[in-house]
Amino acid sequence: MTTRRAAARSLPGGRRPLVQRVLALNAWAVYAFFYLPIFILMFFSFNAGRFVTIWEGFSLDWYRVMFANEPLMKALRTSVVVAIVSTIVATVLGTAAALALERYRRWLGKRTFDALLYLPVIIPDVTMAVMLLIFFATVDLNRGLNTIILSHVAFNISFVSIVVRARIAQMDATLEEAAADLYASRWQAFRRVTLPLIMPGVLGGALLAFTLSLDDVVITQFVQGPGTSTLPVFVFGLIKRQVTPEINAVSTLMLVASMVLVFGSLLLQRRR
Amino acid sequence: MSTPVGTPRLEAASERANRRRGLLLALPSYVYLIVLFAIPLVFVGVYSFASRSRTGKPELADWNLDAVAKLLDSTVLQIAWRSTWLALLNTVLCLLVAYPFAYYIATRRERVRNMLLLLVMIPFWTNFLVRTYAWRVLLDSDGLVTRLGEGLGLWGSMLFSAPAVFLGLLYGFLPFMVLPLYAAIERVDWSLVEAARDLYASGWKAFRRVTLPLTRPGIIAGSILVFIPSLGAYVTPDILGGAKTTLLGNYIVGQFLAARNWPVGSAVSMAILIVMLIATTVYFRSGGRTF
Amino acid sequence: MTAIAVGIHSVTKRFDEVVAVDDVDLEISDGEFFSLLGPSGCGKTTTLRMVAGLEFPTEGRIDIFGEAMGLKPPNHRPVNTVFQSYALFPHMTVAENVGFGLAMRKVPATEITERVHDAIDLVRLTGMADRRPKQLSGGQQQRVALARALVNRPKVLLLDEPLGALDLKLRQAMQLELKDIQKEVGITFVYVTHDQEEALTMSDRIGVMNEGKLLQVGRSEEIYERPANRFVADFIGETNFLSGRVEESGVVRLAGGQLVRAVTHDPVGTEVTLTLRPEKIHLYLRAGDVAPGMNTLTGTVHRRLYYGDSLYYEIDFGFAHVDARVENAPRQQRFEPGHEVIAAFSAQSAEALAE
Repeated sequence: MTTRRAAARSLPGGRRPLVQRVLALNAWAVYAFFYLPIFILMFFSFNAGRFVTIWEGFSLDWYRVMFANEPLMKALRTSVVVAIVSTIVATVLGTAAALALERYRRWLGKRTFDALLYLPVIIPDVTMAVMLLIFFATVDLNRGLNTIILSHVAFNISFVSIVVRARIAQMDATLEEAAADLYASRWQAFRRVTLPLIMPGVLGGALLAFTLSLDDVVITQFVQGPGTSTLPVFVFGLIKRQVTPEINAVSTLMLVASMVLVFGSLLLQRRR
Repeated sequence: MSTPVGTPRLEAASERANRRRGLLLALPSYVYLIVLFAIPLVFVGVYSFASRSRTGKPELADWNLDAVAKLLDSTVLQIAWRSTWLALLNTVLCLLVAYPFAYYIATRRERVRNMLLLLVMIPFWTNFLVRTYAWRVLLDSDGLVTRLGEGLGLWGSMLFSAPAVFLGLLYGFLPFMVLPLYAAIERVDWSLVEAARDLYASGWKAFRRVTLPLTRPGIIAGSILVFIPSLGAYVTPDILGGAKTTLLGNYIVGQFLAARNWPVGSAVSMAILIVMLIATTVYFRSGGRTF
Repeated sequence: MTAIAVGIHSVTKRFDEVVAVDDVDLEISDGEFFSLLGPSGCGKTTTLRMVAGLEFPTEGRIDIFGEAMGLKPPNHRPVNTVFQSYALFPHMTVAENVGFGLAMRKVPATEITERVHDAIDLVRLTGMADRRPKQLSGGQQQRVALARALVNRPKVLLLDEPLGALDLKLRQAMQLELKDIQKEVGITFVYVTHDQEEALTMSDRIGVMNEGKLLQVGRSEEIYERPANRFVADFIGETNFLSGRVEESGVVRLAGGQLVRAVTHDPVGTEVTLTLRPEKIHLYLRAGDVAPGMNTLTGTVHRRLYYGDSLYYEIDFGFAHVDARVENAPRQQRFEPGHEVIAAFSAQSAEALAE
C-alpha cells in the first residue's frame, strides 16, 4: 500500500494536478455513459403512458401487462430452463476439462483439446450460430428446446473451464498430495480437498455460463424451433416491431437479475 | 541381500495410467466439442462450396465456387469494408476511452478501487440486448439524446444511421476493453515507474517507455475482445441501424434466415472466421494471454 | 539386529533427460532419525517422495519393512509426510486436518476424537483445535502438520524440510522438540534438509547427497570429522583445503614443500587435498608453546574478523591462505594483522582426500 501511494507521487498526475483532473473527469464521464441510459430505461418502465420517451406519470401497469403476456412468460420459462440445464451440464463438463488440463500431463490430444476449448470463446456469435444451424440441419435434428440447450452447452463449456482453470492454477497441488498421503483415494481427495477449494471458481464459472445463456440472442435465434423462443430472442423480436414501456419493464427485470448475479458472485469471492 | 529388481516398466505404467485418467476426464467435453463445434465448423467450410437449391437447403452434389466468388461482389465488399472500419474505429475509440479510465481506477486506494471496479462489473454483466435497447430509446425521434441535440442545434435523430450503430457498439463493448486493461495496469510494478523517473524520465516518458509496454498484454486482449465481436455484430446494427448500415453479421443472418442462400452465408462466415484466427494468432504471438 | 524400516535399492529417477536421483542404495533402520542432507536440487526431496509414493523410481526398488512398494499409491503406504509448505487444508480446522487421515481409514468417530485430541496435545497446541490454519503462526502450522502425520501412527515419518520456513530461534527450538517427539513415539524419521547444522544436531545418521548421488552415510561425527570427499567436507561446516601429495602412509607433502602428518587413505604419490577445520587450528606466537606431536606451519596474520563468540584469523602461509577460528574466551591471546604466528594442528584433524 505504501509503495502504491509513494508511486502515485511519481505518476503523471501526482505532481501535475491537471492530468489527474482530466483522468477523473474522463472516469466520471464514462460512468455517466454506462449508467444514464440504463437508468432512463428503467425510469420509463414505470411510465403511465404508452411512450418510452414522454413521461406521463407513475404506474406499474406495464409490469402487469408484462406478467399477463403469456408468450413472453413462456419465453421467460424457456430461458430459465435452458440456462439452468445448460449451466449444470457445462459446469460439470467444463470443470472436468479444467482438471484434465491443469492436473494431468501429456495425455493424448491435450494440445488439440486446449486449442479447441479456446475457439468458442473467440469466435463471433454469428459464425457459431451458422455452424450449429448447418450442423443441426444436416444431421436432420428437429430444432427446439433440445438444440438450444445443446448449443448453449457448446459455448459454455469453454467459459466454465477458463474460470475453473484459473482457480485450479492458484491451488497448491501439494494439498492433493497431502490428501493422498493421508490415505485418501483419488475420489476422496477430490471430494474432500480439491472440490471445496476450487468451489468459488466452479460457482463463478457456473454464474458466467448462466449469464451468457440468458444473454444469447444470435445463436438461439438460429437453432430454435417453432414456439421455443427464449426471452432475449422474444424481446428482440418485440423491439423490432414496436417500442413500448412493456419492453422497458422486461429489460428492468433482466437488469435486476444481472445485478443479483453480480452481487452473488461478489459474495462468493468474499468467501475465498 | 537379494538383487534389486529393476522397475522401469512400473514407472511407465504409472505414467500411462495418469495420462489415461487425464484423457478420461477431458473425454466428455472433448467429444462434445468435436461433435458440436469442430464438425459444424467443417460443415460451414464444405457448404461454402455447395450450390443453392430451390428449397434453400444447399445441394451437396453440385460443387462450385459461386458462393466464394460472391465474396468479391461489390455489395459484399462494401458491407465488409463498412464492418471492418466500424469495428476498427470502435476498437480504437474503446482503447482511447478505456485506457485512462482503467488507469484512473487502478491507481486509486484499494477500497475506492474495489467500489469503482464493481461499478464497471455491473454493465459488463448486464444483458447486451437490454443495453442496446436503452440506446434505441435514447436515439428515437423524441428520445432524450435527440432532443438534447436539437436543443443545442447540433444533431437530429441518429436512429437507423451509422453514428447510431457506432454509439451502440461503443456502449456495448467498452466494458470488454476496460476489464483486461484494468487487470494489466493493476499488475504494474510501480517501482519500475519510479526507477524510470529516477533515471531522469519525465512523467510522460516514463508512461510511454515503461507503463505502456508493461500493459501491452491488456491492450491486446482488450482489442481482441472488442474487435472480434464488433466485426461479427448483429444485434446492435439490427436494432440501431437501417438498410444502409448493414454489417457482416446482418448480412450473414439475412442469407440464412431471409434470402435462404446458405452457401453465401457460409462463405462469408468462413471469411470472418479466418480474419478472427489471424487476429488471435497475431495476439498470441505478441505474448499475451486471453484472460 | 534391528529391522530395516526403509530399503532403497539401486534407485534411479529420471525426469525426461534429467537424472534427479542416481543409483542410490540406502537402508534406514527401525527407530532411526535419519537425515538426507544436500544442497537444493540434489535429489533428496525426490528420494523422499519416492518413499512416500508421490513419485515412482525409474529404476530400482523401494521396500518398507521388507515389503516391496512397487506402484502402491501413497494412500496404501504405511508412511506419512510432513510437507515443506505444510500443505494444511485451508478449509478445515486444526482438528479436521489432524483427523483427516483417520477419517479416510474409517476409524470410528469416538476414537478419532480421542486420538486427534492426544496428537494436538503432543505437539502442544491444546485449545487450538477449532482454529483454521490461516489463524496460526508458522510454528503452529508446522506442529499441526506434524500432528496430522503422527496421529496415524505411521511406520515411517517423512519430513521434507519441515523447519525451512521458520525463523532461526523458532527453528532451533523446534529441532529439540522434534527430536524429543521422535524419541517419545519411537517412529523412524526420514528428514530432508539442506541445513547441515540441523542435520548434525538431530540425526542418528546422515546421508549426504549431491547431484543425485548419495556421497556418504554416517553418524554426525563421522560425516564431520571424516568426510569421504571434498564435497562433503566443504558442504558440512567450514573447512580449509590444502593441496599436496601423499609422501608415505600418514604423511603428506604440502604444495609449499612442508611435511605434515595426516589421515591418509591413498597410495604414495597420490595428489590429495587436505581438509582442515578452522577450529582445529591453534595459533601460537612462540614455538615453545606448541604441544609435542602437533603439525606446525608458520605464517603471517593477514586479516582478523570479529564474530562475537569467536575470532577468525586469515593466515598467509605463502602457498595458501587458511582460516583459523579462536574462541573469544577470557585470557585468550589476540593476534594482530602482520604478526608472524605458528599454526598447529593434530594429525587426526587433517584428512587427506583424493582429488
